[in-house]
Amino acid sequence: MSVSNLLENWSQVRHEHPVNDKPHDPYKWAMAIDLDACTGCNACSVACYAENNIPVVGKERFQHGQQMHWLRVERYWEEDSREFPDQGFQFLPMMCQQCEAAPCETVCPVAATNHTADGLNSQIYNRCIGSRYCSANCPFKVRYFNWYDYPTDEMVWPAEMTQQMNPDVSVRSKGVMEKCTFCVQRLSAAKVVAKGEGRIVREGEVQTACQQSCPTGAISFGNLVNPESRVHKQWAAQQVVLDADKQAKDEKEEGPGLRGYRILEELRAYPSVMYLERVRESAV
Amino acid sequence: MYRFLRLPVLLVGFFMAASSYAASNSQPALTTEDALGPQVVQPIEFPHNRHAGLHDASDPTKGGMEINCQYCHTYARRSAVAGIPPLQKCIGCHQNIESVRNKSRIVELFKYWDAKKAVPWKKVHDLPDFVRFNHERHIKRFIEQQDRPVQEACGYCHGDVKEMTVARRQKPLAMGWCASCHEKDHPVVAEGGTPIAGQAYWYSFQKPAAAQDANTKARGPNDCWQCHK
Repeated sequence: MSVSNLLENWSQVRHEHPVNDKPHDPYKWAMAIDLDACTGCNACSVACYAENNIPVVGKERFQHGQQMHWLRVERYWEEDSREFPDQGFQFLPMMCQQCEAAPCETVCPVAATNHTADGLNSQIYNRCIGSRYCSANCPFKVRYFNWYDYPTDEMVWPAEMTQQMNPDVSVRSKGVMEKCTFCVQRLSAAKVVAKGEGRIVREGEVQTACQQSCPTGAISFGNLVNPESRVHKQWAAQQVVLDADKQAKDEKEEGPGLRGYRILEELRAYPSVMYLERVRESAV
Repeated sequence: MYRFLRLPVLLVGFFMAASSYAASNSQPALTTEDALGPQVVQPIEFPHNRHAGLHDASDPTKGGMEINCQYCHTYARRSAVAGIPPLQKCIGCHQNIESVRNKSRIVELFKYWDAKKAVPWKKVHDLPDFVRFNHERHIKRFIEQQDRPVQEACGYCHGDVKEMTVARRQKPLAMGWCASCHEKDHPVVAEGGTPIAGQAYWYSFQKPAAAQDANTKARGPNDCWQCHK
């Protein structure tokens, strides 16, 4: 970008996500995950592996911290002085939160990760030089680095297994960072269909792999701008606002008893994933 | 005296010179130079010029047939890939064209047909695996919305195929080359004054604040995930 171009279009280059910036229109992809419905079955994680050509690294590399799961199911054990609490584990599916003011974006030395108009945090493998600064700066630790050239690694994809890989997703090579994309290949396919018909993507027309595979329907995904979408309704019902670092409902003395929250909201990353707190008492 | 200033002044000078040069080139030029790809040897030397070339009124046996590209490459307008026509398509016409039935290429074609085998055509325009290119979107924009001639629209990326026998890659098909078009300000209103429905809405990263008149310009999609997968 030439200097004059930069100066002429300064307002477009200088983003202040999400406040004071241009509104998301027509899309803002967002998610809501109901932890009350989540049973920790890991189907979402498996679906993600299959959809996004994620290498299975094996036990040893996992212990070295070289795991590649874009979507992990975190386990929390409630410490209430009992050895085995009735509730058992608490589960929390954790993937890239597609932050509106993503900490990873600002630190990338080569701008390999940046914001799309749809409010996604894109990762361009070809541009990535593997500095891993983004991962260091990610408060959710959802970025994964390719320590090995997995496509050529016999342990990961034996010859026949390459047949099951998704042609719409790049197979990443050694030395690049990767992360959850909100199944961007599905989003763009749906958008092409919608554009051809001169409309925007309808609610229910596009699903992420994790959402599709969730047996309890804990994950909902959609266009937050579309008032018809389930995700919009859930966010609205829980009074969670995208561009706020403190939700007004939490400020009140007597909370309205709503379950919606976003993780590490106070860091002002403005995540696009809302979680619904678990309330049930029984184990499963 | 002021020796310490020499380097900074020099650097500032260089910067000013570079930026003033850049200022005069703020609009990227559309790359038009040809970057010929490798000559691909096809199982049958398919004459694109005979099928798609311009009609020669003085000698009908010499000129082309002016067949629409999309008659054979029929998937282009409704899917991401343009597709290679099935052998059926060739035979569908050629079984009724007796005059060329004994030409060596057609004999070869019918051999495949009788053996019930597809012709193993080789790919000429091969994009890298990490690129998502959609034919449908480009056809919709240039041919359906802007009503440009088919051969012109296809030729933006495929070159002058109607002059070729076996197709050969003529354009670089590299990212900078794609971006040279996507970064240009294109009119939102079609030639002839018809407003293109939602053009600015879809095609620009930013919605133009002004009303869509003949001077409204928009750019092609410009974020990385549009094309990179």
